[in-house]
Amino acid sequence: MSFMDRHYFLLRRLHSLTGIVPIGVFLIAHLVTNSSLLWGKAGLRGEGEKYSFGADGVTLGEGGVAYFQKEVTWINEQVPHLLLIEITLWAAIAFHAVLGVYYARTGRSNTDRYAYQDNRRYAWQRISGYVGILFIFYHVATLRWGWSWLVPGGAVWSHDAATSTLAMALRGSESGWTGAGLVVSAFYFAGVSLLVFHFANGLWTAAVTWGLTVSARAQRRWGGVCLGLGVGLMAMAWSALFAAVTIDPREARAVEASLEQGRVVSPGE
Amino acid sequence: MLNFTPAAGAGSGAGGGSGAGGGNRARAVPGRTIRVRVKRCEGPGKASRWEVFAVKAEAGSNVISVLQQIASNPVTVEGERTTPVVWDSGCLEEVCGACTMVINGRVRQSCSCLIDEYAPGEGDEITLEPMSKFPVVRDLWVDRSRLFHNLSRVKAWVPIDGTYNLGPGPRETPAQQETRYALSECMSCGCCLEACPQFTLEEDPKAWGTSFIGAHAISQARLFNEHATGRALKGERLEALMGPGGVSDCGNAQNCVKVCPKHIPLTESIAAIGRAVTIHAVARWFRG
Ligand code: SF4
Ligand code: SF4
Ligand code: FES
Repeated sequence: MSFMDRHYFLLRRLHSLTGIVPIGVFLIAHLVTNSSLLWGKAGLRGEGEKYSFGADGVTLGEGGVAYFQKEVTWINEQVPHLLLIEITLWAAIAFHAVLGVYYARTGRSNTDRYAYQDNRRYAWQRISGYVGILFIFYHVATLRWGWSWLVPGGAVWSHDAATSTLAMALRGSESGWTGAGLVVSAFYFAGVSLLVFHFANGLWTAAVTWGLTVSARAQRRWGGVCLGLGVGLMAMAWSALFAAVTIDPREARAVEASLEQGRVVSPGE
Repeated sequence: MLNFTPAAGAGSGAGGGSGAGGGNRARAVPGRTIRVRVKRCEGPGKASRWEVFAVKAEAGSNVISVLQQIASNPVTVEGERTTPVVWDSGCLEEVCGACTMVINGRVRQSCSCLIDEYAPGEGDEITLEPMSKFPVVRDLWVDRSRLFHNLSRVKAWVPIDGTYNLGPGPRETPAQQETRYALSECMSCGCCLEACPQFTLEEDPKAWGTSFIGAHAISQARLFNEHATGRALKGERLEALMGPGGVSDCGNAQNCVKVCPKHIPLTESIAAIGRAVTIHAVARWFRG
């Protein structure tokens, strides 16, 4: 009997569990932080490099970029054992991904003949898993491990200039969209959308797997909760992405620079 | 390939069944000729081919009676004489499960499949295929041995064999009976397996012990775990369901419950067994 077979049940359940803790919990926290970019986008004045920050008070947009920057700075400077947390997350994601692919390969989708909504979600859970693995790898490799050769325009994400370098990495250049930037942004859109679906749907199936929801009614009810959570997370993911690809990196850079000089501390000041 | 008639495709939510409630029967044209497209296969391992037969629809006919008509005159629409189509059946009233096949792309019993529902108009076509998850014996007849093997994996029985009289069994409450009656209606037809994306064709019996067991066996394990005497084997059933090919292999596509002709709450059984193995595993870990 192989290792996989001897610990079959444990591995199956760990696969289910890791999808929720830590990965799902992290996803929620990550999207909450990133969606603050939307109000960063909302009020920037569109004056490019000429932007002089703080001259006539703090706008909503300045505040948004500043808020996001402070969140990122807090995570990078205040969260204890950050590297340990990251490595735990990466290990959990790798475990969930490797086993997930292994398990997914045991099934054969048949939505052409049985086009039920549940069956379609079964198929999409697997598709979203595959795309999600590629996306997370690209996302972490480029923005965390600094593999800038994979970034169009070669932007290197910096947690000291969180918004501007993110916007550059997504758009492909400082001044505007490039073709490659469009591809990357589209990949981000697909990646985050599919991952949010994967999490919400996985939360629904996990309740069946663990036997929390037994009756069809309970399964439907929990389905409503998962749908609500999914819609909320999707809204956050889309607003973060929308903001990140539309913020002018030069404007964001100006806000970040003034933050570095300590001139702006918090919105509404 | 996809050739749903309105009745079969949009069908009643829980599918399968007797086709009750379909509206096609009322407008069926008397004395019409229909086309029957059959997937033929000479035997295990042989390539399959399609043959089409023209059949004069008789009032109240079903797929089995149409196959009998074809057998009496096995000539294809091209005028070629061929062998009679082979199929399996038993009860002819949707209680034995033997006649299960894929009709218009969807698995169901052929004995209860009314021609007036599926091919109400002149020249309408109906497509018959063997189930794809079991080895074909010949034509529409498949070997469902694995289905029964999987029932034995979970000891789907009440252990009462012995050398002396065990006396009357424990009483069951009406509530227990109510839950168990629905589960007991399973006729081992294989619809739930045919529609399941996690249950795939496995021709090698040596692999049957570790490939996905299927919704029917999970549900039968629940049926006998809830039985006052059958409970004695609960631990063994759960252990079997925790191993490779057990309940964890279910991917929650929930097709099984939609195609089960007996409307057995299969996904509730899957969740109930999921709960039972969760508790069993935790208890076992602490017990040592
Ligand atoms: S719920 Fe499980 S057993 Fe039923 S069809 Fe889906 S994967 Fe198969
Ligand atoms: S559970 Fe339903 S579909 Fe499955 S074998 Fe039994 S009767 Fe057939
Ligand atoms: S012959 Fe028994 S179910 Fe059709």
